[in-house]
Amino acid sequence: MESLKVRRKSLIWISGLTCNGNSHSFLSSSSLSFDAFLNSVNILFHPALTYDREFKDIYKDILEGKLKLDFLIVEGAVSKKKTKVYFQGFDIYEILENLKNIAEYIIAVGNCASFGNFPALYSEDVVGLNFRFNQRNGFFEGDFTTKSGMPIINISGCPAHPEWIIKTVLSLSYGYDLKLGSLQRPKDFYMYLTHDGCTRNQYFEWKVEAEEFGTKEGCLFYYLGCRGPLTHSSCNKILWNDKSSKTRAGMPCIGCTEFDFPLRGKYFETKLNIGIPEEVPLGVSKRAYIMLSGVAKTFTNHRLKGKLEEAD
Amino acid sequence: MKKQISNLSLNRVEGEVELKLQKDKNGVIEDAFITAYNFRGFEDILKGKDLLDTLVITPRICGICGHSHLTANVNAIENLYRENGFNIEVTQKAKIIRQLTQCSEIIQNHIKWFYLFVMPDFLKLDPSEKFVEYRPFTGKHWKNALKISSDIIKIVAIFGGQWPHTSYSLPGGITSDPLKTDLVEAMSIVDSTLKFVESNIIGIDAESYLSMADYQEFMNKTSGGSLKDFIELSFKNGMEKIGKSYGHFITVSNVYPCIQEAVIKKKRCKFNIKKVKEVKESSGYSIVQPVRYDGLPMETGPLARRLTSNTDLFVNLNSVFSDSYLVRVWARVDEIVRILVNMKDWISKIKLSEKSYIKPKDYKLLSGVALGLTEAARGSLIHRIEVSKGKIVDYNIITPTVWNLGPRCKNYRGVAEKAIVGIDNDLKAQMVLRSFDVCSVCLVH
Repeated sequence: MESLKVRRKSLIWISGLTCNGNSHSFLSSSSLSFDAFLNSVNILFHPALTYDREFKDIYKDILEGKLKLDFLIVEGAVSKKKTKVYFQGFDIYEILENLKNIAEYIIAVGNCASFGNFPALYSEDVVGLNFRFNQRNGFFEGDFTTKSGMPIINISGCPAHPEWIIKTVLSLSYGYDLKLGSLQRPKDFYMYLTHDGCTRNQYFEWKVEAEEFGTKEGCLFYYLGCRGPLTHSSCNKILWNDKSSKTRAGMPCIGCTEFDFPLRGKYFETKLNIGIPEEVPLGVSKRAYIMLSGVAKTFTNHRLKGKLEEAD
Repeated sequence: MKKQISNLSLNRVEGEVELKLQKDKNGVIEDAFITAYNFRGFEDILKGKDLLDTLVITPRICGICGHSHLTANVNAIENLYRENGFNIEVTQKAKIIRQLTQCSEIIQNHIKWFYLFVMPDFLKLDPSEKFVEYRPFTGKHWKNALKISSDIIKIVAIFGGQWPHTSYSLPGGITSDPLKTDLVEAMSIVDSTLKFVESNIIGIDAESYLSMADYQEFMNKTSGGSLKDFIELSFKNGMEKIGKSYGHFITVSNVYPCIQEAVIKKKRCKFNIKKVKEVKESSGYSIVQPVRYDGLPMETGPLARRLTSNTDLFVNLNSVFSDSYLVRVWARVDEIVRILVNMKDWISKIKLSEKSYIKPKDYKLLSGVALGLTEAARGSLIHRIEVSKGKIVDYNIITPTVWNLGPRCKNYRGVAEKAIVGIDNDLKAQMVLRSFDVCSVCLVH
């Protein structure tokens, strides 16, 4: 590991086809994390934050080698065609082409920059940085790597959790290697499933299913569309806004960290096939799932029968 | 001398906006054109989608006002149930919680916008050390603003799981069933936010602030704070004289007790949705279609809401300084206080014994057209859905930013364009544009 007293790493944040939700997620981080970020990272440009220098001047300095660029953060989908997506008056196509061999790391923040997401549904040329959905035919194709030797790092999610963004940048700044999964997401965050840490886990284990919304009780997987056991994220490990998660608040996980999020639909109901969910939890065969569920259902967990606050 | 043209790309706004200024030989702006880029095609994407799936898609139009899109969407679907002759029941509990979380999003927006987007402009006009605490990244006020805006938004997480982008509100109610301690936590957050607003922004207790009738009274009574700093800086730079537009205002829905729907043309009158029309003509420089009310351009947002709600302080400010930069920005800051003081009362009215959600009839039975209206941070938001057997045939969205920043029609310039004409300084022109709280993301969706 490098000494921690190195110069602050430099970063620019650019946006393509986006709702800015990742920026606002980032800005909603805890002040402890945000302070740590500012202590280690020099944000040369972020469209909502910086005020003293224009993008065009910073961009020029970077291209001329006067400023070093450690992190290029991209929020939003981009296009494989020129003159379709703009950032601060520049064609983002040109920015990416010019910076691809200059930035040490390029990080795609959010599902649009990672996989194209909803904007990619509108047009064939709209892509993520390295992927279009799960195909490696994004803006940069195949096994593209940046100066550091790392591929594009995807912090997927719609939006990405602020801690995932901050900790990824800080880990790299501090000189740690980041292990990435097949979709180039940091394992530290995406080796977990949304299901891990959900407050409804017991209901899942004993197959006590919620049939309607609006209760603390019941698992949302069987009827209400929850993708918790099928989705890579640490939403129930690193809580949102330091408080909660969708599943804890009774909302099914919609699988927004996965490449197929916009392709799936039916977010509030589970597709059943002869009474069995069409997709079963990751890592388990359908047969195993059916057998285990059957066994669980033959027993009753009395704590989970009625209202939770009435149970002993 | 040749006419001068400036093309300015704006930062510290939501999204990608270009402001083209046409100036006379003295550098005075004769005309202004607002162009937004980065079209994503949401209305097309929504076609053919399952009605309930739209609840996941429309909040993703905008990362800062996604909850308002969710509300407009839910309202439209609930109205469609009624149009189809089905009863749809939503408990008071669910209604209050929806309003509480949406208003938290609005407050979050205004605090961030004021400190991150508005105040840094004055640092450029006055680079002295006096306002060093407003500097991005290092200033105390800037850092506090980020902390407070991320605190208040925790209320959405408590009831809705996360912010941005929850879809916890749905036809029939909400998905969560909060605990008493969740209510206590939400109250604590409201309390600490209000304390921050009183000591750092308005410099006086909220009750006294809200009883004020004119600006002089405020300036005399406040002990100082960011609002006073802003007002002084505005006067110093002549910002009470610029940024005036048509003086027409629209608010399309109510938030009891702080926002009342109405329209102000020459006089205040009742809002009638039938008079809202998108003008089907190309402006030549913007992909956005202008929207008009009774043929007229309208300003929407916090200033409109203060005037349609007949708030003394703003009726007064408007009569002295009209719809200038000063008054428009002040109205946005004012709304933080006006909403916050009601939030504890809303929380105290939540009856946890009521149901969170009452399952309505199957949405696949629904066909027809319905509207969903709501008040977002930037103003009135309208969703119109056309549905056939539970699938979207057509989804049309009129965002607040279309009212304020949309292009000209044959007869009138856009509202913000009009407000910029006559200014003789590029930075001030940008400041006036920012006073509308620009969101190009919503403008082009």
